[in-house]
Amino acid sequence: MRSRKSTMGRVSDAMRHKGALALAIGVLAAALGLAACGDDTVGGGGGGEVSTAEAGNVKGKLTISNWPGYIDPGKEGTVKEFEKDTGVSVDYIEDVNDNDGFFGKLQPQLEQGESGGRSIFVVTDWMAKQMYDLGYLQEINHDDLPTAFANLLPSLESPAFDPERKFSLPWQSGMGGIWVDTAKAPGIKSVNDLFDPKYKGKVTMLSELRETVPLVMLAEGIDPVEATNEDWLNAIDRIKSASESGQIRRFTGNDYTEDLTSGNIVAAIGWSGDASLVENDDAEWRMPAEGCSLWSDNMVIPVGAPNTAAALGWMDYVYEPEVAVDITEYVEYISPVEGVKELLEGRGSELAESQLTFPTEEFTADCTDQDSPPELEPVNEAWQEVITG
Amino acid sequence: MSLRQRLVPYWLLGPGLLWLIVFFVVPMYFMGELALRSGTLTTGYTFSWEWANFPDSLSGHTEQIVRSLFYAGTATLLALLIGYPLAYAIAFRAGRYRNLLLFAVIAPFFTTYLIRTIAWKTILSDDSPVVGVLQTLALVPQDGRVLATSGAVIAGLTYNFLPFMILPLYANLERLDLRLVEAAKDLYSSSRAAFVKVTLPLTMPGIVAGVLLTFIPALGDYVNAQLLGGTQQSMVGNVIQSLYLTQRDYPEAAALSFLMMALILIVVMAYIRFAGTGAFMGDAEDEKA
Amino acid sequence: MRVLARAWAWLKRNALLIYAGLAVAYMLIPIVVIAVFSFGATPKGKLTFGLNDGFTTEYWTSAFALPELNEALMTSIRLAAFSTVIATAIGTAMAIALVRHTFHGRRVANLLIVIPMATPEVVIGASLLSMFIYYSFALGFTTLLIAHVMFSISFVVVVVRSRLIGFDRNLEEAAADLGASPLTTFRTVTLPLLAPGIVAAALLAFALSIDDFVISNFNSGTTVTFPLYVYGVSLRGIPVQVNALATMLFVVAATAAALVLWQQRRAERMAAVRPEREPDMGTPLPGTAAAQ
Repeated sequence: MRSRKSTMGRVSDAMRHKGALALAIGVLAAALGLAACGDDTVGGGGGGEVSTAEAGNVKGKLTISNWPGYIDPGKEGTVKEFEKDTGVSVDYIEDVNDNDGFFGKLQPQLEQGESGGRSIFVVTDWMAKQMYDLGYLQEINHDDLPTAFANLLPSLESPAFDPERKFSLPWQSGMGGIWVDTAKAPGIKSVNDLFDPKYKGKVTMLSELRETVPLVMLAEGIDPVEATNEDWLNAIDRIKSASESGQIRRFTGNDYTEDLTSGNIVAAIGWSGDASLVENDDAEWRMPAEGCSLWSDNMVIPVGAPNTAAALGWMDYVYEPEVAVDITEYVEYISPVEGVKELLEGRGSELAESQLTFPTEEFTADCTDQDSPPELEPVNEAWQEVITG
Repeated sequence: MSLRQRLVPYWLLGPGLLWLIVFFVVPMYFMGELALRSGTLTTGYTFSWEWANFPDSLSGHTEQIVRSLFYAGTATLLALLIGYPLAYAIAFRAGRYRNLLLFAVIAPFFTTYLIRTIAWKTILSDDSPVVGVLQTLALVPQDGRVLATSGAVIAGLTYNFLPFMILPLYANLERLDLRLVEAAKDLYSSSRAAFVKVTLPLTMPGIVAGVLLTFIPALGDYVNAQLLGGTQQSMVGNVIQSLYLTQRDYPEAAALSFLMMALILIVVMAYIRFAGTGAFMGDAEDEKA
Repeated sequence: MRVLARAWAWLKRNALLIYAGLAVAYMLIPIVVIAVFSFGATPKGKLTFGLNDGFTTEYWTSAFALPELNEALMTSIRLAAFSTVIATAIGTAMAIALVRHTFHGRRVANLLIVIPMATPEVVIGASLLSMFIYYSFALGFTTLLIAHVMFSISFVVVVVRSRLIGFDRNLEEAAADLGASPLTTFRTVTLPLLAPGIVAAALLAFALSIDDFVISNFNSGTTVTFPLYVYGVSLRGIPVQVNALATMLFVVAATAAALVLWQQRRAERMAAVRPEREPDMGTPLPGTAAAQ
């Protein structure tokens, strides 16, 4: 298919080659020039002072980023009530599907001291701490949140990741445990059962490091809060073999609920409040024999948040028991507000009796708080290897 | 030609080339630059001529790389086998329905990539009638499944990239002068020999273009593996995505992406050297640059 | 016996067409599934043939009930519209230059156009992200638009160029003979005849933009496009309205394409054709609005 070139053809070829070369050099020069204007180090967290969120008149516009399914969206819902009571117009966005994913999306802007227009994020304990350590959050003054700190459950007043509640306020809490399809696998009672070859290929685990590995460590009798890096790595190894042998079908996010619904799996590590998402009457959440993991999703105020006054107003508002009870009724997770249980009993709701929404001390006696490993990097790397196959 | 007239093509090409250079070529440079940095999110990424990132990213993920080559290769082959007859039919036998069929080929694009793949996930779920039929036909073991296997991922890749194979094939086939085939037959060639000796060679540029446009994007895909695969089906794309968005190990992610890009460039340049850039656009003889 | 033999012969003759029909059906399977799901009160994730849990049109009537979904869809449509207009304009200009003019650097230009088409989206998305990160450029609609235009340009160029190559220049010469200036010729002869190719390119660019997930995922910041919204909710259970809207989108696109085709057929019946070939004005590459 090659045409034969005349001398003229070859000359113009050469010219064209030169043209291409010149262009390439020009582009490279331009790029280097552009690069010279940039920094030597990119990223690394915002240094400098941490600001405190300013209180003030509650009015104007408020944008909140939260997980899906965490509030009643309807016309009678909490958001609408808040708007009516305060006159604030709320833009409630359900775009936190994953702590890391959300963080990854916002990080470049947070780095610049901007929050993408949002005044409140709701993220899990350890992510809140990570954001705070990087200087991406503002601190909250307890005096600005009278209702909240009056009604906050004592057990949540001083968590390990934020002992003075300087930057976070719980939204809802929950438990990580096992979802079981009781019709197909009634015998599953412990995380160890998930490794039983009987259920090969019909089991999933959460892809979140701090959800899955602590549970596995608990099943081995290790207390995750005191675990050494080696303990973490050993547990990860065990999970890795199970994954490679095909015992574990997938590592999931929230989508384990789909697999349960469609019958692809018989058991999954999952969250206590997801009943509304699992459309399988045979499936139920079980407390693992050796204990569950406890976590909270927290409201935080990012740097550069517009209208922090309204944000603080919202945070205080949802701690009024009458408001909190509506949220719990819809969401079915554990409320951080005192007095909600009594109100529910008054309404005759089943939820008041449920261990999933109001777990007793006994119920969660063996449960562990979610925590990060002593040295995050090597553990994270090992974990990522397992997840990405 | 006046100077103004001579400058016209440059004006016409200018905006486009500029856009492509600034937003395609330059970012490649930045990716390379990022690949030479070291550090983490907390410490910041400092430029340190960290050449080690390149071999490190490869060695850490050889399994996924090999797997990706295998999946993409198989999917491309399947797409070729499925797509060629379809393209042929549309070019020569469709008559009035040609445009309709062509539209049907790109129609799936309008439902968005994710929804299509999720639909397949539902169709192939363990309890679905489709899998039941496959089990009866013994194509799938009785207690086996389709999802979360390599087969599902390859099927997904094939389906999603089929249009990228069909369209270049069609463009090339459409230009085929059937009289050449007739001539072969007049010279007592059988249909099959005519196909192998006349049609196939003449449509080879289309085939190669289709293969390249299918294989390379499939290589970098991660959605199919994520939705249809299990723990052992991750591809290079999944790794890159995880490194960038979850682990935020930008240097390693950039190194891996850059190497992929280099591989692609080599393959494409080799092909262009061999057949001319015009061939890539689907024509056999024009535009030999 | 004869009947069987004739049936067999018919089968052999039409085997290719039958195959084509099957292949096309295969391509449309997910679309059908999505449409079926949009009518069903079937539990999410379960495929049950026969809408036994109830056939309902409630998701169609409430199709626009989810504000986030609507916003995501609107964002996608706006993005696709802008990106299509810009990419088509730029791409058409490039195609004209490539086919009708001589200049230096043709090879480079070809290379620059062709390579993006063959690059995996992960690499394009990631490299753009690298550059945006480097300059601390805020991710959002603008970055999305930039990315979408970038990957659409190549496809537009290829389509329009294909159309231009098969173009009958006699018509333009005739116009020139009749005293028309180059600009007028371009406006009244070239452009209208080129139109189907341009429209096909625009349609393809629009489809690519609406469909894009990977590149958008890397470069969207907090802006949510339709595919990104679906990705988000897919982890939690897709609201059935998504299926209804996806089907709607498809139907609208199909109708638009059908209208374009019909319009084009009418136009071509009135236009002149190249004498030595059959009525065929040359076909664009991914030719949706191709000539007969």
